[in-house]
Amino acid sequence: MTPILECNGLTKAFGHKKALSDVNLKIDHGQIVGLLGPNGSGKTTLIKLANALLTPSAGEIRISGMTPGLSTKKIISYLPERNYLNDWMRVHDIIGLFSDFYEDFKPEKAYDMLKRLDISASDRLKTLSKGTKEKVQLVLVMSREAELYLLDEPIGGVDPAARDYILETIISNYNPEATVIISTHLISDIEKVLDYVVFINEGRVVLSSSVDDIREQGKSVDGLFREVFRC
Amino acid sequence: MLTRLIKYELKATGRVLLPLYAVLLVFAAVSKLIFSFSDNSFSVPEAISIMIYIMILIGMFVMTFVVMIQRFYKNLLSDEGYLMFTLPTMTWKHITSKLLVSTIWNIGSFLAAILSIIILAFDEIFFTDFLPDLFRSLSEFFSIFGLNSGLFILEFILAGIICMVSGILIIYASIALGHLFSQHRVLASLGAFLALSTVSQILFFCVTSLPGLDFLSEYIDSLDSLQASAFMFHWVMWFIIIFFGLLSAGYFFITNHILNKRLNLE
Repeated sequence: MTPILECNGLTKAFGHKKALSDVNLKIDHGQIVGLLGPNGSGKTTLIKLANALLTPSAGEIRISGMTPGLSTKKIISYLPERNYLNDWMRVHDIIGLFSDFYEDFKPEKAYDMLKRLDISASDRLKTLSKGTKEKVQLVLVMSREAELYLLDEPIGGVDPAARDYILETIISNYNPEATVIISTHLISDIEKVLDYVVFINEGRVVLSSSVDDIREQGKSVDGLFREVFRC
Repeated sequence: MLTRLIKYELKATGRVLLPLYAVLLVFAAVSKLIFSFSDNSFSVPEAISIMIYIMILIGMFVMTFVVMIQRFYKNLLSDEGYLMFTLPTMTWKHITSKLLVSTIWNIGSFLAAILSIIILAFDEIFFTDFLPDLFRSLSEFFSIFGLNSGLFILEFILAGIICMVSGILIIYASIALGHLFSQHRVLASLGAFLALSTVSQILFFCVTSLPGLDFLSEYIDSLDSLQASAFMFHWVMWFIIIFFGLLSAGYFFITNHILNKRLNLE
């Protein structure tokens, strides 16, 4: 089976600074993957390349065998690390937009999750707090039945209670064939849900391994992370 | 997908511009009312109302322009671009939907301005002098151009719209070119605009000096008599339509190519 995400010699430079250099990576279907690394290590760059928001400087990235484009956008559900909501819309407007554009979007699922998170669908996006906006975006992203979820810092700005609900949603919501890639530096919070981890530092993949293999060595992901990225 | 993009584009822009149109028309009516109470001498209330009207009118055109740039820059190339460019649709549809809606609002603002002027000028003179004059000019026009009058009007409108479209697309292309730089993107866009307009002017100059295409200067010479220029009107209009149509295609290609192949959202 073609890997859901594959990078071959993937390099991205901004001017003289290399954000990613020569990344080779294969991620299979049906896993929850932690993309872990300190700030500025290239996590966001990698995810943006997968979404065609950035163009590679060298090498290639493939989603289910395809270069990022129209057909990969249909199967990727992406949560950026920033707020992309149009301020003038209400929550139900943006749900309407997602239903209009994504065939795999399930509005009833979205309304259900909003209710659980106590967010009113008639609220104006402009009036929502930063954390609530993040929750709305996560609801939108998780209400799709995608093949690949790319979640960039999904739990960074929300309170611990919502964090638990979000993680629970991520595990319970997706179908077994789908892959979820979560980028974060808050490892201890998500360690329990991960099947596979990719450590990335200064634009290079320094480790990619299944969590079971790490545990067999008698280590935890968090412990290993601290070991690899010791300052 | 294109119709859905257009739908959202209309929603996003209409909520700003439609109220402005309403304000303009209402205020034109209010000014008209103030004027009708006065005895033709120009006093303070009239002066204030006409000043406010002119400010709203200018504001409307400025807003039309600002909305056009802002919808392209903010919606596609700032944080909102993260949503727009991950929608499963082609880049050219984003550009087309924004271009189409911008064109609609440019025409809309123009029509709103004319309507407001008609409201302001609406009195007996309008019916006794202006309208008959207008009809007289129109019938003169039809008598000169004869059977082709409809075609002439069509060509004229088409040329106007094409010029407007190329004006919008040169701005899109400039913003897209500015996006190629990693820093000072606004400044780079302004530079790109100057460069593109210079290149376009040189092109225009070169093309019009080509042998066989130098009818433009002849046309301007012949403008003294409408009868003489009528014959050349076709040529001039089609030249404008084709020239600016090709320019527009060039700007569109530049914009689409950059947003497709060289996109680097910050």
